[in-house]
Amino acid sequence: MLQLLRLVIFGFLFLTAVYVVVSLWSRSVRKRKLRREWEEIGRPGDRDAYVRAGMEDYDHSLRRKALLLVYIVPVLAVLTIIYVVNFM
Amino acid sequence: MVYVKWGFWGLFWLIVLAFLHYTLPQHDVVRITDTYEKRVDPGDNALFWANADTGGDPNRATRDVFFIQTFQADDDPMIYRNEDTGWGWPPYFKFDTSNLQAEAADLISKKSEGAPQWVAIRHYGWRNEFLSIYPNAISLWAVESPDVRIIPWFNIIFLTVLAALVWGIWVRWKRFRENRIDPAIDDLTDGWG
Repeated sequence: MLQLLRLVIFGFLFLTAVYVVVSLWSRSVRKRKLRREWEEIGRPGDRDAYVRAGMEDYDHSLRRKALLLVYIVPVLAVLTIIYVVNFM
Repeated sequence: MVYVKWGFWGLFWLIVLAFLHYTLPQHDVVRITDTYEKRVDPGDNALFWANADTGGDPNRATRDVFFIQTFQADDDPMIYRNEDTGWGWPPYFKFDTSNLQAEAADLISKKSEGAPQWVAIRHYGWRNEFLSIYPNAISLWAVESPDVRIIPWFNIIFLTVLAALVWGIWVRWKRFRENRIDPAIDDLTDGWG
């Protein structure tokens, strides 16, 4: 039981670190794209306001929620391995 | 200096490859001749033994371990241990050790018998006589002949994904270093000669 607890706790910590890094990276990519977009469509108004509005859209997007796959995929992988190794 | 650099990277890749070779699953086609159980007291080789049965006391220094005794097609012996990996490392999540031992015992086939029963064994780990370590059997199934071809799909997919992941992170890290860290260091060391 202690081993399972250890796996869950350290696994959660590790995946949280991965989630934070991927999330920061994804935001920076999004911002860079918005800045380029702003330049390409002829610099309408304030650049920071344009980027801020774009980031708000991103906050509600499916793409951002898809980052939760960082947690879901490893759990599914573990369940699959348990099934294949022990019950197939 | 250049030897130190080459030595370092050589050692690094040797460790990475050895680690993958030890941990990833491999297949052997063998003839099982016996299954038994013996007491094991892990010492210097403790790293190469897995855990006590899931649910058992993990702090006991000594315990009984199942073994599967086999012969390969070229008549070389190969002995496997059969242990739970449980929730620990490597992440095979194997809990069905006793079931596997029953299946192995059911497929015993001695040399003196007419038609040998060949068995494919999926395992990880190494056999080393000097350390008394044994590969851990994960699963087994009966096959027609020792020439049966087993394509390691899992390893192909896993190594491809791993290489893609490492490459993707490496490229981004290099770009990040060139754009952010190197200029900062250049600024800092400006005029140092």
